Amino acid sequence: MISWWKGAALALVAVAGLAAPRAAHATDIELFFPVPVDGALARNMSGLIKEFNDSHPDIKAIPVFTGSYDDTLLKTRAAIKAGKPPAAVIMSANFLTDLSIEREIAPMDDLIAKDGKTPEAFMGQFFPALLPNAVIDRKVYGVPFHNSTPLLYINADHFKEAGLDPDKPPRTWAELSDAARKLTKREGDRTTRWGLMMPSNYDYGGWILEALTMSNGGRYYNEEYGGEVYYDTPTMLGALTFWSDLVHKAKVHPAGEQKGPAVTGAFLAGQASMMIISTGSLTFIRDTAKFPFRVAFVPMNVRQAVPIGGASLVQPTGLSPEKRAAGWTLIQWLTSPEKSGWWSRATGYFAPNKAAYDLPEMKAFLEKNPDAKIAVDQLANAKPWFATYRTVPVRKAIEDELQAVLSGKRQPKEALAAAQKAADALMRPYVEDTALRLPGAE
Amino acid sequence: MTHALDMIPAARQAPAAAPETARRPWAGLLLPLALLGPSLVFLALFTYWPVVEVVWDATHEVTRRGTRFVGLANFAALFADPTFQRALLNNALYAVGTVVPSLILALAFALALNGAGRVRALMRAVFFLPVMIPLVAAAALFLFLFLPGIGLIDHHLARLGFAGANWLGDPDLALGAITVLTVWKNAGYYMLFILAGLQAIPDEAKEAALLDGAGPWQRLRYVTLPGLRPTFAFVGVIALLNAVTQVDHVFVLTKGGPSDATKLLLFYIYEQAAERYDAGRAAAATVVTLGLLAALTALSLSRSQGPEASR
Repeated sequence: MISWWKGAALALVAVAGLAAPRAAHATDIELFFPVPVDGALARNMSGLIKEFNDSHPDIKAIPVFTGSYDDTLLKTRAAIKAGKPPAAVIMSANFLTDLSIEREIAPMDDLIAKDGKTPEAFMGQFFPALLPNAVIDRKVYGVPFHNSTPLLYINADHFKEAGLDPDKPPRTWAELSDAARKLTKREGDRTTRWGLMMPSNYDYGGWILEALTMSNGGRYYNEEYGGEVYYDTPTMLGALTFWSDLVHKAKVHPAGEQKGPAVTGAFLAGQASMMIISTGSLTFIRDTAKFPFRVAFVPMNVRQAVPIGGASLVQPTGLSPEKRAAGWTLIQWLTSPEKSGWWSRATGYFAPNKAAYDLPEMKAFLEKNPDAKIAVDQLANAKPWFATYRTVPVRKAIEDELQAVLSGKRQPKEALAAAQKAADALMRPYVEDTALRLPGAE
Repeated sequence: MTHALDMIPAARQAPAAAPETARRPWAGLLLPLALLGPSLVFLALFTYWPVVEVVWDATHEVTRRGTRFVGLANFAALFADPTFQRALLNNALYAVGTVVPSLILALAFALALNGAGRVRALMRAVFFLPVMIPLVAAAALFLFLFLPGIGLIDHHLARLGFAGANWLGDPDLALGAITVLTVWKNAGYYMLFILAGLQAIPDEAKEAALLDGAGPWQRLRYVTLPGLRPTFAFVGVIALLNAVTQVDHVFVLTKGGPSDATKLLLFYIYEQAAERYDAGRAAAATVVTLGLLAALTALSLSRSQGPEASR
């Protein structure tokens, strides 16, 4: 009787002893991740996290798919409000300003210091163009994960057919609209092939308009202060009028709002000869296109400049120290040169970590796919991405007007005035609390 | 509540009454209250408390500097917002555009498919099929139908030699596209109610009309339609509620765009609350929307009850 009891107790202790280290030390953390472009990103992410969990037995990371960039912001905020913030989020890089203003994400400087690095040395791993959207008020709020720029994609067969040289894609707006005219095909009043397509749905439209505005010498917003946007300006008027003329005057670009998938779909189906979309779609286009294509820098009018896009890893405020540390381990792992490079090859986003391009597998990949190199080269012209207080509605203010202009409902000049007014009203509470909060007024 | 009810009979009764009768109202209330208790708790938690909170939110302003009572200022700002006016108009158009055609279609289906027979049963199932597809899935499906140029609709239009359209990207067409999807989705559901309503019309009435020599149109006009009146009132209310409470397809297909063309009330409320963090205006818009809905429902149900009650 006693021996049976002892045996059972021993067995119990043994089982508990086996189970205990895992149960006591494995920290469960969640990673929120969006899928903003075409392709098998969700599957790639699951594979990546599995690899992380296998190599880190003390952490159990759970990838949570959270939809588009805008949806991911919303779900992260909901999780923070519910008191269950995820340990890490792949957040659209231009939401970091708003999140830091609202104190919803925590700076990571202390974690970096704990590893014995200075913030400058840590952030020095990444391309400098990415820093303005990650370092706010000299504090590190985000670690760049995957980044992009808008890129011009052209159908090489269509170019040859129209008597254009596919190895000399348009470099200026004049060449772009000229090529678009030559590439457009009509049957009666029906257009069977568009010369150029650019997405104008929410999120994408603002980004493309920013690329055109920057190529026209514009700044789009105040990089140093979250309460100012430059919508009603000559540079933006030029950019919007150029787009509007492609639609309504030259009729080489379809009217109305165009969604991202509709643009890539039309390009892949041979119904559009050129498109300007994210480098993030490069792998999808390369794998899907049944014709030779080329990529090139976004054509310019005044100067060569594009905004960055993509996402950074952030940590919400209010995490327990264990989860925060585990999340930080995951963030560093995901942004290491090897993983950064692997993700870049899987998606088409460029790897923000410069060291990724020194690895032999990356060199071999770029050798084989020179188009991916063009995406990286364009980084030399890259500028920060539109980020303000309440970024999403402020961005929608211009996107609603952009869609109205592309549908022929508004003239560019009045559209920009309306967008500026709407954006100013949205940012008013922040402005009143900062730039217009003056001594002696209270 | 129990206290007040307790007082009334006690005051009415003579003081000389036996103590057991004085206790009776309590005893009489205890059982129903105990039975209702669990539901009342949940109703209070999940229905009445949120109502109170929405009203509180609607009359307060939350700013970076704190919260304060603002009375009706949120409502004033709401009605001054052109986007809200647009959302009201859009929702009115959408309600009329979905409720009327889907009811007419549902009636036509029900009249054609009423009765026994394998073919009819099969056709009823076919028309009911869209109801079983979740709205989100249906919207995702229609995303491909509506794709400009390469979508199914434009593909077939091009084969017929017509120029396609940017169905979801043109502000003049987007709301119509969403309306068509909703009618397709809901007509089969309403058909079910009308089929049930047709069963409730007494055969004698139909026979009498036949004997009197009424033609098919007269039978429909004077027998079937009056008989379906309560069904229509009920289905009308359901359809109206659907037109306000279901915006899944707006999320999937247009996100309220292009240029606010498909911004329905519920999507407007979502934007105010989730994107702009303006809980006050979102709550004010909720109060207005629910008020409108309650008024319309009451009106429509009371009208249908009128002749019923006087019969």
